[in-house]
Amino acid sequence: MTSFFDVLIGGVFHASVLFLVAAGLQLVFGVQRIVNLACGSFYALGAYFGITAVNWTSAHGAPPWTFLPVLVGAGILLGAIGPFIERLLRTVYKRDEAFQLLLTFALVLMFQDVLRFFWGANPQQLGNLSMSYGKVALGEVSFPTYNVLVMAASLAIAVALGVFLRRTAYGRVLRATAENREMAEALGADVRGIYAIVFTLGTVLGTVGGALVVPTAAASLDMPVELVVEAFAVVVIGGLGSMRGALAGALVVGLTRALAISFYAELEVLAIYVIVIVVLVARPAGLFGKPVE
Amino acid sequence: MSALVETLAVRKAYGDFVALDDVTLSVAAGETVAIVGPNGAGKTTLVNVLTGLLKPSGGVVRFKGDDIAGIGPVKLAQRGMARAFQLVHIFPALTVGETIAAAVVSQTGRSLHLFASLSRDEALWKKVREVAAIFGLDGKLDAQARLLSQGEKKLLDIASAFALVPEVILLDEPTSGVSSGDKHGIMKTLIDAAGRAGVKAILLVEHDMDLVAEYASRIVALQGGRVLADRAPEAFFADPELIASVIGKRPARRARSEG
Amino acid sequence: MSGRPRYAALVAFVVAAIAVLAIFPRVAQPYYVTLVLPAFAYAIALLGFNLLFGTTGLLSFGHALFVAIGAYAAAVMTSKLGIKSFELILVVAGAVAVIAAVPVALLAVRYVRIFFGILTLAFGMLFHSFLFKFYNLTGGDTGIRVLRPTLLGQDWKELDKTAFLIGPFYYACLVLAVVLGFAMWRIVRSPFGLHLAAIRENARKAEYLGVRVRLFRLIAFLISAFYGAIGGAILAVNTGQADPELAYWTHSGELVFMTVLGGFANFFGPLVGAFTFIFLKSELMGATQYWRFFLGATLAVIVIAFPRGLMGLAGDLWKKAVRR
Repeated sequence: MTSFFDVLIGGVFHASVLFLVAAGLQLVFGVQRIVNLACGSFYALGAYFGITAVNWTSAHGAPPWTFLPVLVGAGILLGAIGPFIERLLRTVYKRDEAFQLLLTFALVLMFQDVLRFFWGANPQQLGNLSMSYGKVALGEVSFPTYNVLVMAASLAIAVALGVFLRRTAYGRVLRATAENREMAEALGADVRGIYAIVFTLGTVLGTVGGALVVPTAAASLDMPVELVVEAFAVVVIGGLGSMRGALAGALVVGLTRALAISFYAELEVLAIYVIVIVVLVARPAGLFGKPVE
Repeated sequence: MSALVETLAVRKAYGDFVALDDVTLSVAAGETVAIVGPNGAGKTTLVNVLTGLLKPSGGVVRFKGDDIAGIGPVKLAQRGMARAFQLVHIFPALTVGETIAAAVVSQTGRSLHLFASLSRDEALWKKVREVAAIFGLDGKLDAQARLLSQGEKKLLDIASAFALVPEVILLDEPTSGVSSGDKHGIMKTLIDAAGRAGVKAILLVEHDMDLVAEYASRIVALQGGRVLADRAPEAFFADPELIASVIGKRPARRARSEG
Repeated sequence: MSGRPRYAALVAFVVAAIAVLAIFPRVAQPYYVTLVLPAFAYAIALLGFNLLFGTTGLLSFGHALFVAIGAYAAAVMTSKLGIKSFELILVVAGAVAVIAAVPVALLAVRYVRIFFGILTLAFGMLFHSFLFKFYNLTGGDTGIRVLRPTLLGQDWKELDKTAFLIGPFYYACLVLAVVLGFAMWRIVRSPFGLHLAAIRENARKAEYLGVRVRLFRLIAFLISAFYGAIGGAILAVNTGQADPELAYWTHSGELVFMTVLGGFANFFGPLVGAFTFIFLKSELMGATQYWRFFLGATLAVIVIAFPRGLMGLAGDLWKKAVRR
């Protein structure tokens, strides 16, 4: 029976990574009204590519402690696919949501084999690198420093996103476009460019999230489809389109999962879906979302 | 004469903002009541209360003697009141015929017939053709609603409301968006159609005072959420101050045709 | 309201298709005949799905839930309860699915569009995790075996598995597909179907025309669940196994894929989609280990270039040909 703090840290760590993916989802949904089923695929891509990057750098003599910046760098680098995917999605912007959803599903299918092609069918791991940062002690309990770093990074990104969206001029333009695209366009916003940037940002958040998780979890071909469900749980609980919702939802899901695993393993994902359903019944818009219909 | 639709001291407040205050009016069979007033006077709120969309904060709203506060559009239609909107609502991919048929199906209570054949229901399509003919749409029964002209869409919207065979119909700015040359034609069609469809009373929200002067049997003027006046057109138009406060100018006087 | 000649042509076409399917086992290689069985299963499941999607405008990403219910009903009945009658299996599968659909529908029909999709996805995954984790009840990730059912009381013991499947079972499924297809045809073309279409086109206006939007969405949902379960039961008998992956959200995604492939705005679209998808997937799987990529690419092409699917394409080509 793991200690309460281990469970807590595990849950918050998982929540930190989930937050990144969910933030990406919320951003893309908020501004473009697209629900990206392929968010899990980006996540998995980040994970696999992160492993490859770290293996490459350490094969070229980089010391173990560099793996964190390498992972982050790998995640950001992958953002380069963002504009291309957005270009593809652009073909269905004007259509019914169902088609957008389906196109992202097509991407899920395609990415499955892209991952398989480059990295094969076996799960990949990064060994014990996460321990190279040692542990951090807080009184009697200690946790891996790596986890703490990731949580801090995630929080920093959350704050940065918040500042970006609320305090900067460009952030305001983004929020205006999210509220009312036509108006924003009429007022001179370059909506096309905005969409490309927003989608890329969303992609990067996903790939970085995936990259950051690999020291603690294996990258496998199940990742893309499994993450989607958790990510959706986060955005539903938090409220579609809301950044604060992404944070709140991620914490709820991360902690629920951690608690469920430690008490009764079978309940792990079940508990999450039950919460999703309860939230949708009690507060259809989620914790921070705007009222529906 | 008992009232078909009536409100008694209806009040609707949103926090500190009072949209309607002490509104009492009644509509009896045979009447065509026009609700007029400047923008923001509360016409839309009143209409929403009258059609069961909004529950009043105070007072009573009744249809055929029953309290209809907040009953919603479905029950309203079932009880016999139909509403046509200012903004055109259509079923884009359905044909004119299908749109009207949807209303007839509701009205004849056959909506839960899962296995009955729609296309072979002669009685239904006869009814559809009749209603379409009243509005001049009988040549376009197979046309998709989205392909109609704006005016035809409006007619279709109203036709589908009429197909419900309502006892009372509420028309929300029925001639808005219609060119002024067509306005009288449309109003006349509507009044005639109402008569032929067995509609007992018409409630009309209208900005065009010429039409109101011509077709209304009574005018209810709202201002600031209160009833400013509730009188027959002659009495209404004889009062220049009243007209001015409602629209700010005197309408061209038209000879009123005898009903 | 459609012309008499068009209707006659339609009837002729359907009769011809049924005839082709009826003689298919006699003329084709057993491998291809065994592919038709899942095609029947999916065709039926999709008829239900498209009542919700094409007719009523609700995109469910959890329809596989009911397919799985049907499959597990067949499995539990044959393996654990010893009840082998296929007819009884179908009835029970359908009934369980409808009962399970009630709470899901009550919740889900309050929402539209993306929320409906996400909620249905969540319910599907809820069932999946239940199937996956509760090993003692559900067999966990291996699932439960499905034993050969009896058809009209006969167990066809003298036939081996394949002979049974491409023989009596094939014809049973063909009959099922025709009967259920005909029933769905009637439903879609009934006053109820018209109201569903009205709800899809403009739910607000439909309300003002006295259409009970939520109730009708619910009924459509229940009917779709029934059809999904029948399809699931057929699938389970065909593979001999009910496994949790049937309930996974990507399986629901494939159902949507098949429907859009065939054309969701056309009654026959889902049927065409089911058959096309099954054969396409089988050929791709034989051709390359990266078949998912090509399947996904196919979906992308359909969504971008041919949103009305194969039936839409056929309709366009027909119009062009007629114009000449």
